[in-house]
Amino acid sequence: MAVVDVHRFAESITCHAWSPDHSMVALCPNNTEVHIYKSLSQDQWERLHVLQKHDQIVSGIDWSSKSNKIVSVSHDRNSYVWSLEGGEWVPTLVILRLNRAALCVQWSPKENKFAVGSGAKTVCICYYEQENNWWVSKLIRKRHESSVTSVAWHPNNILLATTSTDGKCRVFSTFIKGVDTKDSKAGSPAETKFGEQILQLDLSYSWAFGVKWSPSGNTLAYVGHSSMIYFVDDVGPSPLAQSVAFRDLPLRDVLFISEKMVIGVGYDSNPMVFAADDTGIWSFIRYIGEKKAASSNSSYSSQFSEAFGKFYGSQSKSATANDASESRGRVHDNCINSIVPLSKAGSPKVMRFSTSGLDGKVAIWDLENMEQELGNQF
Amino acid sequence: MAGAAAYAEADNAEEIIARIETKSQKIESLLKQYKHVEALKTALEGSPLKTLDERCKSANWIVVRKAIMAIKDIDGMLNALNAEYYDILMKYLYRGLSTGDEPTCEQCLMIHEKLTARAGFGCILRCLGDTTNTV
Repeated sequence: MAVVDVHRFAESITCHAWSPDHSMVALCPNNTEVHIYKSLSQDQWERLHVLQKHDQIVSGIDWSSKSNKIVSVSHDRNSYVWSLEGGEWVPTLVILRLNRAALCVQWSPKENKFAVGSGAKTVCICYYEQENNWWVSKLIRKRHESSVTSVAWHPNNILLATTSTDGKCRVFSTFIKGVDTKDSKAGSPAETKFGEQILQLDLSYSWAFGVKWSPSGNTLAYVGHSSMIYFVDDVGPSPLAQSVAFRDLPLRDVLFISEKMVIGVGYDSNPMVFAADDTGIWSFIRYIGEKKAASSNSSYSSQFSEAFGKFYGSQSKSATANDASESRGRVHDNCINSIVPLSKAGSPKVMRFSTSGLDGKVAIWDLENMEQELGNQF
Repeated sequence: MAGAAAYAEADNAEEIIARIETKSQKIESLLKQYKHVEALKTALEGSPLKTLDERCKSANWIVVRKAIMAIKDIDGMLNALNAEYYDILMKYLYRGLSTGDEPTCEQCLMIHEKLTARAGFGCILRCLGDTTNTV
């Protein structure tokens, strides 16, 4: 069994993040608060803290693993960095200088910066200024034609990938003098100046969501709202791009399990596995929560099935009934909107991860026992 | 400048329409030989997706409609049709449904059901989500 633990925390969850030791989870129950729960035992969770400072829905949370700081962003256009001082979480306001909602946030790998995507067609790169005791927000403006739905840091701490509802995926340099050092052997990326666009990918014709880098930073994956997932190798002047179309509802977020394997989550409420073969060609492998005997007839596999059944009359009644039982066996009953790795930073493989979604559940998945089923792509 | 661009577009449109006419004749002869699937494949191939010229799109639709309406055995057709044609066929089914013409809608709805069962909701989403390639 792939699912280790499932717990329903709220009516709906907008986002979640884990403490460095994975014993606590911070989540937003679709309101202005961030709740922190501690795991007591299997399916026993205790609420330790409620972080109240935002005025509108919290849209993004990230918990830094080395410095133990939580960053939260909200539709109220502000961000707070929370640090634990004497058992209390103390907020520091970060003025993002946005005129629209903040939508997503992520700490950089070195945790000296964080990136915020927003509805103002802008990305904010925030860093701490020691002398002023203040978080400064630097903006990447006039690059996106629509809202920035997701941000992802390259392991080199400089490159940032973004997806936007204009359908594009872009890669920027976020080199900040005094914060980043030029020493690195990485060479080229460090020589670019802040806000420079390295790459723009026009693969999608509809909204793009959920972007991630592979553990080595060689491959980039992002998803489109037209039931497509895109893989890009050799990010640079001559990228190699692949588009993979799949038969079910679109994805919202992705996670690299290894260099050759990706988990996608989204409207189908059942995580999908994609893998690259030896020649580097990516394809859909299977659903994680799939019953072994997936008949070719079970095509109406979604919440819409009932409506569709009515639409087509009695013909597909059997398929609909089939479906209802199938969806009851599922872990999530609604759109999954985030997937978070549960592994040590920088490790080449992710064996555990968690998902949360509009059904208010957080599910923890373990791939340890699934290695055989998933084949040798690991 | 704008005039030149418009002229080039018109020229291009003439070219596309000439191509559609050739295609139309080919489909007629395929239909006479009862090669319905071949006719549909030919109709779907080389559709002017990127052009904004409505005349091209209408001319091509007339040809595709002919091929779609000739289909009797939908399951057999889908069995013979490669998966790569599914997305484009779905686009034309929605165009057919938008005409409001009863026999066309009836035929398109019937194919739509079978195609959805085969190609999934992803196919519908790719069709509806793509506003750049239209038919």
